[in-house]
Amino acid sequence: MSAPAVDLRQITKQFPGVLANDEVDLTVERGSVHALLGENGAGKTTLMNVLYGLYRPTGGTVVIDGEPRTFDSPRDAIDAGIGMIHQHFMLVEPMTVTQNIVLGNEPQKWGGLAVDRERAREAVAELADRYGFDVDPTATVEDLSVGEQQRIEILKALYRGADVLILDEPTAVLTPQEVEELFGVFDELTEAGKTIIFISHKLSEVTTAADAVTVLRDGKDVGTVDADSVTDTELAELMVGREVLFDTDKPPVELGDIGLATRDLVVEDDRGVRAVDGVDLQVAEGEVFGIAGVDGNGQSELVDALTGMATPAAGQVFLGNEDVTHAPRRQRIDDGMAYVPEDRQARGLVMSYDLTENGLLGSQRDPQFASSGRIRWDDAETHADDIIEEYDVRPADADAAAHSLSGGNQQKFIVGREFARDPDAVVASHPTRGVDVGSVEFIHDQLLGLREEGTAVLLVSSKLDEVRGLSDRLGVMHDGELVDVVDPEEITEEELGLLMAGERPPDVPKATRRVGGEAQ
Amino acid sequence: MRPSPTRRLAGLGAFVLAVIMLTAIVELFPNTVVGAAIGGALATAGSILGIMDSAYAASALRLSVPIAFAALGGIFAERSGVINIGLEGLLILSAFTGVAVAHWLTGDGTTAVGPGIVLLLVIAVLLAVAGALLGLLGDTTGEIAVRAGGGVLATAALAGLTVALAGPTLAATWLAFYTAVLVSTAFALLFAVVTIEYRADQVIAGLAVWLIALGVAPFASNVIWGAVNSPGVDTLGTWTVPGLSELPVLGTVLFNAGPVVYFLLLATPLSWYVLAHTSFGYWVRASGENPKALDTAGVDVRRVRYAAVLLSGVFSGIGGAGLSLGRVGSFVGSGTTMIDGRGWIGITAMLFGNYNPFGAFGASLLFAALDALQFRLQQLNYAVPDSLMQTVPYVTVIIVLALVGRTRTPDAAGEHYESDED
Repeated sequence: MSAPAVDLRQITKQFPGVLANDEVDLTVERGSVHALLGENGAGKTTLMNVLYGLYRPTGGTVVIDGEPRTFDSPRDAIDAGIGMIHQHFMLVEPMTVTQNIVLGNEPQKWGGLAVDRERAREAVAELADRYGFDVDPTATVEDLSVGEQQRIEILKALYRGADVLILDEPTAVLTPQEVEELFGVFDELTEAGKTIIFISHKLSEVTTAADAVTVLRDGKDVGTVDADSVTDTELAELMVGREVLFDTDKPPVELGDIGLATRDLVVEDDRGVRAVDGVDLQVAEGEVFGIAGVDGNGQSELVDALTGMATPAAGQVFLGNEDVTHAPRRQRIDDGMAYVPEDRQARGLVMSYDLTENGLLGSQRDPQFASSGRIRWDDAETHADDIIEEYDVRPADADAAAHSLSGGNQQKFIVGREFARDPDAVVASHPTRGVDVGSVEFIHDQLLGLREEGTAVLLVSSKLDEVRGLSDRLGVMHDGELVDVVDPEEITEEELGLLMAGERPPDVPKATRRVGGEAQ
Repeated sequence: MRPSPTRRLAGLGAFVLAVIMLTAIVELFPNTVVGAAIGGALATAGSILGIMDSAYAASALRLSVPIAFAALGGIFAERSGVINIGLEGLLILSAFTGVAVAHWLTGDGTTAVGPGIVLLLVIAVLLAVAGALLGLLGDTTGEIAVRAGGGVLATAALAGLTVALAGPTLAATWLAFYTAVLVSTAFALLFAVVTIEYRADQVIAGLAVWLIALGVAPFASNVIWGAVNSPGVDTLGTWTVPGLSELPVLGTVLFNAGPVVYFLLLATPLSWYVLAHTSFGYWVRASGENPKALDTAGVDVRRVRYAAVLLSGVFSGIGGAGLSLGRVGSFVGSGTTMIDGRGWIGITAMLFGNYNPFGAFGASLLFAALDALQFRLQQLNYAVPDSLMQTVPYVTVIIVLALVGRTRTPDAAGEHYESDED
């Protein structure tokens, strides 16, 4: 039997104050898809950065093809045939696909006086062809979809002669269809003899796409299992270290008045297209109203109009009985609307602020933290510490800058901050995106807790399990319209899929619960 | 966001239409107040247009030299992610150094061969070091040695060529010119070290370069000549292309000009070519847009930025010494010095030209033409306050940036970059 493509032995990585990897072993066979599973902060990305030469390990050996190696920089790793596709793509947006792929290794002509564009383009086209990628070498990267950009990243690694491809949470930014396509790409690559390691915290995709799974917890590896024979529950237990309940328990709640509503809402996007086209919805206090739909069907714009991030072209938005259609964000916050944004880095946090400052965002005028224009930082820090403790944000340090947290921990902190406002209405957009299983469970509990306290919750999510499990009623959006409001417990996945595709299957179970009060 | 060709055509059309309409009004209502006023304005415009002859075009091109070189330098630096607003300072330093060295070599009317050779040796060593540094851009040690040797050879070749072509007297002036470029580059290196190595704020560091130059150059003038303004020195003269200079208009404008003008006409397409077609150009752009992408592609972002900032020093040096040695023949250190904001206008030209060398050159030419126009108007006794004329580039740029919005600043401009090494 040939030597494994990658063999990490007893890798330890110590950061100041944090032991990120603790004697981790990882053996990846050539031509296989190997998943690295773990909660946020379990040390998955650190381990891969060690393999890619970005970090030097404190201890342990990296063995590639049976040969021990020391990588001082990614360059060395690239030379050893390792390519990494980061979660945030490393692409130069205004440059073309070809330019991005050959960057740093441009074919030359005229003795190095010019880049041989013709040869570069051919090389890219040939490479794309070999692995069945459909890309236009002359397209500008910023015009491409996220899925296409990811394929450019893969091509970039292949162009550099990568035999082992590391993908850091490759599905986090993809639509379900793009995830399918990506797994198809995995098959093409492994057939061609490439080895794939991908980081994930989603159980279902690990069992679907991987051959073997190594689970990390708190920087230690807790075992490698065969992906075909393991169950989701077993994996989740390995990952979290305790039993995880996937079923959410929803006690019945007495519905109150209308907490949040829209009437004939029309929102136009940047190009003047009606992204939200005449949406009527009412969310009662004590109710979770879910919005399902394929990403890009107006959910983001609906959320923007509800939260005051966009001005509707027509229609009204109500918060309680009050018409807040044109009310500024400030007023909506003061009136008790919490907002968990879709893009945590762009809207949820100021990345260079520490957690104390981030915890204050939106409450900077709250008398709890400020008096006569002066902020009481001690109180703000206590507040941040409370959020950190309650939501198990790691590292548990209110002085840490937001960018030093992993995506999942950033998300937990935002959710904690928003829910701490004691809101009357919550607009949550993908609240568990990029969050590990244990924290997902926790955030779900918090959402349901708010529901029991009589908060109106609007939940947008691309995870069907999530919206179905949490919602009392489920609205389906397609092409800017709310095509139907259904009963999430009765509807089948097939029916939901058809609705999301814009079709109308017969006899869909309608949502039966009536809203307590009437909108104005 | 690029303006569509239709939009540009519409603008041009509107202008032509306005002129036609105004003319029509004058023709139709010759005796009314409006008619007379517009008629007067048109006559003025006519006489202004009358002075826009080939000599005017030539002087505009000459005046554009420091502006355009500063702009080209700024393009390289900023497209690599380093905002260099010290261009004005680099122009001042090189303008001064050029004249000071020229005066030192030729001040008493003879050519000092001894100091000249010493200076040449210094330049050779510096170029060799620079060659070695450039060689570090992703090459092997062997190539570094080759490039260092190349630096020495280049100096020797340059010196030989200069003496052969220009004769010993003018060669001294050329030597002064080279020194000025070198000093400007050295100062750019200092700026690069401070901003790239020590992560100083680029804008503050750039301002410091300007303020230092603004103080040092007149001070040094005072020390050397006892006045902030230098005595006169020889200029680099003009290069007349035989035959072609006889051409009408073009001959005057293009083929009977100072050497630095030719340099500019070469440097503009060359800069464009480097940015658009070479690996280095790719790296510069990537370094300014997404340095992390470049880093993960295995190219050292710091070195690319060093090289780009040094280039901005080279270009500024040519621009500054090109003004003092190429045209004026002395250094004026009073007030805002002889550079008089041309580095700043260079930055506006860079923005106006959307970081494209051709665009920046065009914008520089436009601003220089306005400058030249002001001289002409003074000759015609139209007293246009020059301080008002000098605001034109800045006002234009504000309008361009605010209303047209076509300038696309590199994403990572002004941001420090550090590799993820722990």
